[in-house]
Amino acid sequence: MKKYMIWIALAALLLPALARGIWFYRGLPPQQREIATPDYQSFAASQPPISTPLAAEKVKPAGGVVLFDMAHANQFQPSEAQSLEEQIVRRGGSVETLLDASLLGQKLKYVSAYVVVSPSAAFTDEEIRLIEQFVERGGRLLVFTDATRGTVYYDWWNETITNFSDAALVNPLLAPHGIAVNNDYLYNVVENEGNYRNVFFDQFGKNELTFGLKRVAFYGTHSVKTEDGKVLLGGSASNLSSTDDAHHPDAGGAALSADGGVLVFGDFTFLSAPYRSVADNAALISNIADFALGGKREISLLNFPYVFSKPLVQVYPAEGMKLTAETIAALGGLQDALRVINVELRVTDKAPRAGDVLVLGVFEDAEKLEDFLAPFELELSEDEKTIALKKFGEVGRAGNGLLLFERSKDGNTLVLLADSQEDLLALISTLGGGSLSGSSEESAEEPPAEETPEGEAAPETQAAPAG
Amino acid sequence: MNENNLTWERIRPWLLWLGVPLIAGILLAAFVPQPVIGVIRLDDAIYSYSARDMIAQIEYAAENPEVRAVVLALDSPGGTVVDTEAVYMELAKLRAKKPVVAAVNGMAASGAYYLSVGADYIYAKPSSLVGNIGVISYLPPSPFIFEEIISSGPYKLWGASRDEDMRQVDKIKDAFYEAVKLGRGDRLLASPETVVSGKIWLGSEAVRLGLADAVGAESDALDKAAQLAGVANYKTADLRELAGIASPYYFPFFIESPQGVRTPYPVEPGVYMLFIPPLPPQQ
Repeated sequence: MKKYMIWIALAALLLPALARGIWFYRGLPPQQREIATPDYQSFAASQPPISTPLAAEKVKPAGGVVLFDMAHANQFQPSEAQSLEEQIVRRGGSVETLLDASLLGQKLKYVSAYVVVSPSAAFTDEEIRLIEQFVERGGRLLVFTDATRGTVYYDWWNETITNFSDAALVNPLLAPHGIAVNNDYLYNVVENEGNYRNVFFDQFGKNELTFGLKRVAFYGTHSVKTEDGKVLLGGSASNLSSTDDAHHPDAGGAALSADGGVLVFGDFTFLSAPYRSVADNAALISNIADFALGGKREISLLNFPYVFSKPLVQVYPAEGMKLTAETIAALGGLQDALRVINVELRVTDKAPRAGDVLVLGVFEDAEKLEDFLAPFELELSEDEKTIALKKFGEVGRAGNGLLLFERSKDGNTLVLLADSQEDLLALISTLGGGSLSGSSEESAEEPPAEETPEGEAAPETQAAPAG
Repeated sequence: MNENNLTWERIRPWLLWLGVPLIAGILLAAFVPQPVIGVIRLDDAIYSYSARDMIAQIEYAAENPEVRAVVLALDSPGGTVVDTEAVYMELAKLRAKKPVVAAVNGMAASGAYYLSVGADYIYAKPSSLVGNIGVISYLPPSPFIFEEIISSGPYKLWGASRDEDMRQVDKIKDAFYEAVKLGRGDRLLASPETVVSGKIWLGSEAVRLGLADAVGAESDALDKAAQLAGVANYKTADLRELAGIASPYYFPFFIESPQGVRTPYPVEPGVYMLFIPPLPPQQ
C-alpha cells in the first residue's frame, strides 16, 4: 500500500511540470551548430594584368600635328591624354589644342588628325561639314567617348538626377562615316578588371590598330557599332550592354570607318594612368598614335594658306606685268597671312623651275605662262569673252578669276589669273584674307595620282574660279 | 469512532500522498518556463547606433535560455559595410546556439539582405523588396598636395588611390556573395551573375530564385522559428524591451532636405551596402 502511494505522490509531483513541458517543448533543444561565415582574410583585391614595357619598340617617324578639341566643353584634362601625346611626340608629331570652335576650319587645314574627347557641347552643322571634308581629304578623326563622363544634371526642383551622355553629341559627327556610339555601358560580372564596368576585349578586327594586341581593358565604355566599317575590339559573350543586359557581337569597344579615316572609342579612361599600362593598353595607345599621324592628307586649295611645303614662296609675275603699288600692297597682305605659318614671299622675275611658286597674271598673259598653265588645260575663247577649263566647263572672263593649284614633288604651284589687273588685286586680297571661303569656290574631282614609269608621283592639279 | 472520523481517515492519506504532491508539482511546474520567440526589429538603416542596439538584443537572446529562437523582422535598405558585418557576425554566433528566422517586411536590401542570409529561413511578403546585393563606395579624388596642409604620406589625406578603392569594393562584394552562398547553400537557385547584378526583386521572385525560402507573414516566421527550436505554445517578445534598450537614438544617417524630407542618400561618404531608391518627383 505504502509503495503504491509513493508512486502516486511522485506522479502527482512531476505530472504538472511534465504536462507543462510537453505543452511547451517538443523535443530537446537544437544542438550547438557550426555556422560557416565567409573567410574574410581569404579575399584579396584583384591585381591588374600589367603589360610588357614598350621601351624597345621601334617607331616610324611620321611628323604631323594632332589637334585635340577643347572647344566643346570636353570632359577631360590634357594630362589624361599624356600617354597618347607622348607616343605622338615620339613619332615626330606635335599636339595642339582647339580652344575656340571658330578656328576649327583654319586648324583643320594643316593638322593630320583631329581628336574629340567626350564633348558636352554640340557640334554645329558647319563644324560637322568641315570635319567631314577634313576626313574626305585624308585627315584622321579620332573620337573618344566615355560612359563615365556624361554630364549629370541635378534637378533641385524635382530632386531628380539626369545623365546626358556624350554619345548623343558625337553621333551627328559620326553619322556620315557609318559609326554610332550607343548610349549604354558595357559590363561583365563574370570576368572583369577589378570591377564589373571594367571589361576586357580579346577579339580583334584585323587592322594595324590591333596589331600585337592580345587583350585590352576598358574602364566604363560605351559600345560602338558600325554599318559598313569594322568593329576593332570585341569581347567575350559575358560582356553585356547595359541597354538590354545582352551581348552584341556587332558592337564593341572601338570601331573604324569603312574608309579607314575615322576611329571611335567608347572609352577614354584607358589612356590615363594607371590604366594605360594594364594588359596591352600601352600597345593599343602606340597603335593609335601611328593611326593619328598616318593619314595621307590631300593638300588642296581648301587648305590655303597651308598649301605650300617650303618656307619660301617665289612670287612670279607674268613677263611684262607691272607690280604697281596696289599690287605690292595686296601682296603685303598676303605675306601677313603667310607669315603666321612661317612662310615668306619673295618676288622673282625669272620663271622658277622648282620650289613653291605663286604665279600672278591676267588672262592675256596666258601664253607667257604656258609652262605653268599646261597641266590645267586652260582654253581662252577667241572672242576674249570666255575661258574654259576641262574640268569646269566654260565661264565668262569678266569679273572672274582663277586659282590654279598644282602639287608636285619639287614644290607646289599656285597660279592666280584674272581678267584685269584690278580683278587680280581682288584675288590676291581674297587670299590675303587667309581664306577662300568667301569666293565661289569649287574644287575639281581629281583622279588619283598615277605613278610615272620612273616611280615618281605625277603632279596633282586643282583649279577653282573665284568670282 | 463516528462516521465523520472514518471518512477523514480515508481521505487523509490521499490528501497526503496525492493532493500535497500535486500542489507542489503545480508550483514546481511554474518553474518550467514558457518558451519565448524573441523578435529583433530593424526598421532603419544599419549604422553604428542601430547595429549596437541589434547586437545587444542578439546577445540577450544568446544568453537567456527562455529565448528559444529569434525572428529577425527586417524593413531596411541596408547601411554601412562595417556595421552590417558586425551584426552579421554576432548573428552567426547566435545561430550556432538557437534558430534564427528572417521575416522581410517592406525591404531587405543590400546590407539588410546580408543579415537575412545569416538566418536559417527567410520569409518575404509577395511584394517585399529583396536583394540589391552589392557595395557602393565614393571614390576619393586623385591625390594632390596642398601648400597649407602637410601630411606624412601620399595617401594620408585620401586613404587609398582611386584604383585601390575600386578593387576594395569588389573584394567586399566577393565576401558578400560568399555569405549569400554559405547562408543559402543548395537553396540558392540564381546564377552568381544574377546574384551580384545588384537587382532588387519582389519577395515572390526572390523565393523563385532561392534568395528567400517562402512567401509568408511575420507570424509564419514565428511559427517556423518555434518549429526549428522545437517549441509550441510560445510567447513572443520584443527583445529590445527584454534587453532594456531605450527608445531608438535619433541619428541623422540620411540627408534631409531643408523641408525636412528624408532623402535616401547617406550624410557621410563611405563604403555602404545600401539600396538608394530614386526619389519621387515633387508636384
